[in-house]
Amino acid sequence: MSGFAIDPCDQCEELLQPFLDRDLNDEERAVAEEHLSLCAYCRKRYRFEEELRRFVRQAATEEMPPELKTKLAELRTPLI
Amino acid sequence: MGETAPETEARRLAEDARDRVRFEEDALELADQVYRVARRMVSSREEAEDLMQETYARAFRSWKSFQPGTNLRAWLLRILTNLNIDRGRRVQRAPDMQPLEEGDYFLYNKLEESTQAPNPDEERVIERLSQDDAVSALSAVPHDFRDAIVLVDIGDFSYNDAAQILDIPVGTVMSRLHRGRRILKRELAERAVADGGGSE
Repeated sequence: MSGFAIDPCDQCEELLQPFLDRDLNDEERAVAEEHLSLCAYCRKRYRFEEELRRFVRQAATEEMPPELKTKLAELRTPLI
Repeated sequence: MGETAPETEARRLAEDARDRVRFEEDALELADQVYRVARRMVSSREEAEDLMQETYARAFRSWKSFQPGTNLRAWLLRILTNLNIDRGRRVQRAPDMQPLEEGDYFLYNKLEESTQAPNPDEERVIERLSQDDAVSALSAVPHDFRDAIVLVDIGDFSYNDAAQILDIPVGTVMSRLHRGRRILKRELAERAVADGGGSE
């Protein structure tokens, strides 16, 4: 035996964030895509991560109170 | 023939006033987007509102230092970030970079364990999270990591813009984002389990 074999799912887990950020080079991307085409376990977790990002973004979005917008507008420099 | 000195001066002042008004209008149009990021950089709505007012007051005073054609939203957030630091938020010079035990699949695995159905699909799994938990988990992420998440994942800034806003190298934005998202998932897992995600 020479060295340690890397578990392909562990490797795919490491590539998850840069994959979704479109930050992988062609070779890394091909490795991830090939594994994902064969592995339902990783595919589910990738899809979940995409959903999760949408979910967090939506949950964390709080609209600005309208009174604040008025206050900001009042900070403008008077015209005269 | 040519303009007299007072006429030239009057024309310059009029152009200046017009540019300033346009700048102020552009900045105000972006206020909703700036607020969304500001709100998650600080812990309370009141703090976010104060910070927004200070930011806009400073932006309107120093409008001439903005270079037209560059990213105004990033410029406003740079001011906001600096003011936030001035207000006493300590810059974490060396945020905790010890390795995290939890990888990127950790949250999914935890939620799946607590879902009664065998081999559930990912929609069922995400239903185990609540919006309140997402907000509180995000605020539990240490601020240096959270700022990167808020700018990139909620504010839609590029790594480059986030690096300029936070005044750190692009590589640092990427590593904080990567680690911050894992911390966020750990926090979410804790909340989902505490909320009865354990189900039995």
